[in-house]
Amino acid sequence: MRSIATVSALVLGAALALLSGAPYAGESADHALVRLSWRARGERVQRCRRPTDAELEKLPPHMRPQQICERGITPYRLRVAIDDSVAVQELVRAGGAENDRPLFVFAEVPVTPGTHRLAVVFERDELEYKNPGNQDEDSEHRETEDLRETPRRLTLDETVTLAPRAIVLVAYDDERRRLTLLAARDSGP
Amino acid sequence: MRRLSRYLQRAAWHALTRLDAAFNRLYGWRYNPVYHSGALVVALFLVLLVTGIYLLFFYRLGAPYQSVAALTAQPWLGRWIRGLHRYASDAAVVAVLVHALRMFAQGRAWGPRTLAWITGLILLFVTFICGWTGLVMIWDGPAQVLAQEGARLFDVLPLFAEPISRAFVGDRPIPSAFFFLNLFAHIALPIGLGLLVWLHVSRVARPGLLPPRGLLWGAIGLLTLLAVVWAAPLGAAANLFRLPGREPYDFFYTFWLPLSRALPAGVAWALFTIIVAVVLFLPWLLRPAPAQQPAPSSVNEAICTGCEQCYLDCPYEAIAMIPRPGGAQDGRSALIGHVDPALCVSCGICSGSCAPMGVGPPGRTGRDQLAAVRAFVAAAQPGARDVVVIACDRGGGGVAAGLSLPGVHAWPVTCAGNLHTSVIEFLVRAGAGGVVVASCPPRDCWNREGPKWLEQRLYHEREAELQERVDRRRIRVVHAAWREGDRVLAAVRELQADVTRLAEATDEGSIDVVRACELDSVP
Repeated sequence: MRSIATVSALVLGAALALLSGAPYAGESADHALVRLSWRARGERVQRCRRPTDAELEKLPPHMRPQQICERGITPYRLRVAIDDSVAVQELVRAGGAENDRPLFVFAEVPVTPGTHRLAVVFERDELEYKNPGNQDEDSEHRETEDLRETPRRLTLDETVTLAPRAIVLVAYDDERRRLTLLAARDSGP
Repeated sequence: MRRLSRYLQRAAWHALTRLDAAFNRLYGWRYNPVYHSGALVVALFLVLLVTGIYLLFFYRLGAPYQSVAALTAQPWLGRWIRGLHRYASDAAVVAVLVHALRMFAQGRAWGPRTLAWITGLILLFVTFICGWTGLVMIWDGPAQVLAQEGARLFDVLPLFAEPISRAFVGDRPIPSAFFFLNLFAHIALPIGLGLLVWLHVSRVARPGLLPPRGLLWGAIGLLTLLAVVWAAPLGAAANLFRLPGREPYDFFYTFWLPLSRALPAGVAWALFTIIVAVVLFLPWLLRPAPAQQPAPSSVNEAICTGCEQCYLDCPYEAIAMIPRPGGAQDGRSALIGHVDPALCVSCGICSGSCAPMGVGPPGRTGRDQLAAVRAFVAAAQPGARDVVVIACDRGGGGVAAGLSLPGVHAWPVTCAGNLHTSVIEFLVRAGAGGVVVASCPPRDCWNREGPKWLEQRLYHEREAELQERVDRRRIRVVHAAWREGDRVLAAVRELQADVTRLAEATDEGSIDVVRACELDSVP
């Protein structure tokens, strides 16, 4: 019985060791990935309007403002096409609860290994921010002097060749102010 | 839902009893690792602590993978200490799960045990987080997947202004702060584990925090042997520009990964929340209806002698000694026992510890037991060559329901530990040839210390002891798990043979045992 107990303990131990390094393929070999990741600084916009009489009446006389101003950052539209087929199309708003943080782009597009034409357009969405339904706008001030601000329109149109499991990264080069492609050596564009 | 839960509990109980019996056969109940699963976790935690301190000296935040690879390449110490650290952490998960399964299957997770159940689940969760951070620290392929999956899951929560996933895209080096944070959590969380373990066992007396020496060193030896023979797995270095290929994943900490990765992050969180809620409330769902819940013990103040034995024996620290109302008058003790109903699980062990039979759950005090056994003797009329088997109805070889053997009578009790020794004396004096007490193995007792106190009362003169005048040749105690009826049968046959060999029955049967015991108990 003692030898059976010893063998059982060894078998259990071996099972533990096997499961400790259980082989698992995170992704199948017939996949590659286009990943987009960057941080953009949108245009800061301040919109001011005169408060309505009803709004003023709710406030004590000494707290009634001349103007009510809302600050914000203009959103961007992201469009990604792989081989002329749209893979991502979304509105990217500024981050943070008050939408006053930079815009963060993060998207992943699985593709088959091989050569693909990759087209990315990232452009400021003026209409979305102006909120055309609001007719009470009295003034609008744009802080256009910020040099670090991301350009109104960024584009990238490249042909990339991806090996199995390779990832190509589309990022924003803050110094050259344009989108760039980053990849490992064996999966480069 | 309740029906499903009961089915699950029943299934878990069946699986557990089979596991218990198999391991008892292999290692004996003293060294059965399944019985000591909780204590094994603490022992493995100490192993992790010692090996972790060694590994800490070699881990470099600036080059995590390279430092772990260098450690693994060390033929003498590094390789096997890292392996021991890894395998001990895996074994800890298994031990925690077995321990939780035992508590769930045996219905030991509600009422006063709720705190232990909840803290146990938190301990399990923290253990997983420790494992997660430890695996990420390696920064190989699986670590990369774990980090990226974690980031994906956290990005859907409104916690961070910037998606964490952006840290793992490769446009810039992984910040050292990430590895520092992992290392910090990996070291700081175990400190929290210590506090949680204290909370976990805070409602039990004399918690067994370490397994028996043989099992402790056996387990450590086995894990060390594994670590020496089988180096802990190490995947290829993380590469943020490659999708992960086939890599060695630690199943015990990453078993959820395939499912999680296949689901949208929001759905994964929802599923996780549902699972946590179900596991958290499962025992609550399965608790008996209030009318069926066993009542807590109470103390008969008129009988209590203030001997403190029930206070000493209670496995849940539910009994305190308080000043007697009205003070010590007429030669009575100044202190009396007092049961806190919020802490009492109604195990009834105090019934067996009280010589004057003044404490216990309603219907199960020593006096109630004597009344019941008197009725049992009147009905069964055991003869001089007969054996009475007093069996715990939760274990004791599963014979409490009856034994179809000639000359053998079964008498079930809710726990052998709450059996008052006067019951055994009564049976012997009433003419039974012998008494076999079939209890659960000591570390398997649903009430923690029943068999231990029983044995001490029978053979080591612990207060409320079996009187010296009772012929010990007619008594057997056998420890048997639910599926070990053969052990009980063997003990019964052995005792039957002994009883037959005894020349004549004693003449003690003429004594009024109930009266004698009650007179003994009057202060």
